[in-house]
Amino acid sequence: MIFINNLSYRYPNGTLALDSVDLHIRKGEFIAIAGKNGCGKSTLLRHINGLLVPCEGYVVVKGMDTSDTSHIQDIRRVAGMVFQDPESQFIGMTVEEDVAFGPENLGLPPEEIQNRVDSSLNIMGMMGQKNHTPRTLSGGQKQKVALASVLAMEPEVILFDEVTSMLDSMSRNDILLHVKQLHENKTTVVYVTHHLEELVYADRLVVMDKGRVIHDGNPRIILRQGNPLNLGIELPPVIELSRRLCDSGLITPAFFPLSVEELREVLCQLM
Amino acid sequence: MDSLFMSFVPGDSIIHRLDPRTKILGLMLASICIFYASSFEWIALIALVFVILILVCKLPLKHFVHSARPMILFFVILFLMQLLFTEGKPIFSSKWITISYEGLVLGTILTLRFIFLLLFAALLTTTTSPSKITAGIEKFLRPLPLKYMGISSHDLAMMMSMSIYFVPMMYDNFRNLKDAQLSRGLNIKKDPVKAIIALSVPLVSISVRAAEDVALAIESRCYKSTGRTSVHMMGLKKNDYICLFLYILLILFCIAY
Repeated sequence: MIFINNLSYRYPNGTLALDSVDLHIRKGEFIAIAGKNGCGKSTLLRHINGLLVPCEGYVVVKGMDTSDTSHIQDIRRVAGMVFQDPESQFIGMTVEEDVAFGPENLGLPPEEIQNRVDSSLNIMGMMGQKNHTPRTLSGGQKQKVALASVLAMEPEVILFDEVTSMLDSMSRNDILLHVKQLHENKTTVVYVTHHLEELVYADRLVVMDKGRVIHDGNPRIILRQGNPLNLGIELPPVIELSRRLCDSGLITPAFFPLSVEELREVLCQLM
Repeated sequence: MDSLFMSFVPGDSIIHRLDPRTKILGLMLASICIFYASSFEWIALIALVFVILILVCKLPLKHFVHSARPMILFFVILFLMQLLFTEGKPIFSSKWITISYEGLVLGTILTLRFIFLLLFAALLTTTTSPSKITAGIEKFLRPLPLKYMGISSHDLAMMMSMSIYFVPMMYDNFRNLKDAQLSRGLNIKKDPVKAIIALSVPLVSISVRAAEDVALAIESRCYKSTGRTSVHMMGLKKNDYICLFLYILLILFCIAY
């Protein structure tokens, strides 16, 4: 679905953001990308969405090279992106108008646009807020509107750029459940996050550091076996506890718990 | 939020349901009338029309008063300039200033003109969503040969719409920034110059960043200047034709008098 080959990118101020990144994302995969601030996660997503053009190497999305500007609209239609701050991506004054913006750009007829808007708002449970001003909504609702805006374009891949970083834990879980449902409905998910507990639904974890991919594999194996110092990411208490329980032999490494809920389940089974 | 400067308030009044082109034309006509208003009788007539429109759109007058509030300083300066620098029959005189009757009348009329201009503009933006305004402006601009200048009617309309969108956003940012600076000990009354710098520099920086973020979001959602459609199916209805008829009567009335 997405081929990234020897991708390097340097910002105009000289900062090397991506350094020879190779990645192949398969159709229907749920891939999580983690790493410290400034490690190049968001820059990588912007390359997949065609917002940035590689300095070296190439990114191919569904057979289309992102460096070829003639494909750029098709690439963005295939790979939709949800940004970190929902407020900065609102264009419409009402929720309905904001969600309609993408389909309007695709040149769809008004009836089709209306159908897509209603359907995506229904999926996100935001139909009741259709006529509200996006800025008056809560943080979680804003992010749901942002996600509905991308869904209305019916993308095959959705790129999530730290979408839960500004949310409380309840809203975070809510968004994560929607992401899981999208993945179950065959959408390819590329999910950038700082919260490693959110990896519970991911098939694959890519850890980045200084613009390079340093780990790529099953998240449970990487977080169970990897040396925290080499992971380049801070492990949350729940994963630290899971590691210690595994090390002490209290739980088997066959199913390594990543979230509080998973750990609770494993401990309940033990008792 | 509902009382924010120039922000859209969803509703189901007759004015809300009018085609955006009808409302834009109405605002253009109202602006011409306001600039021709040179007596208090005219201003009173304009005020009467405005009050009727407010009643029809079923929105509180407070909302529109709030729309004019950020411009109070401009209105005061405008009034004082006319009051102090217009020559005529003096009604008050001291060693330093002389106030003339003509200055008082001219200053009041000119200030009222600007206030009503702003209020009528607020009436359009309050009852019409930016995307409808964009669609309306785009339809108006379509016959112009803009493509020979390298721009499209969609681009121009989008720029105008985004400008309207940014006003309440900047106002929100300004309020947050003011609170943040006050909490860090900024004294606006004691040191106004420092306050202006402390508020304006970060406000410009935040606005530029917000503009960059919105531009990215627009690009990411496949914006293109040609071939766009709109979720709003535009078309003139009975009420639009009644308004257009009233506009023609108004033009004829203005020509006759």
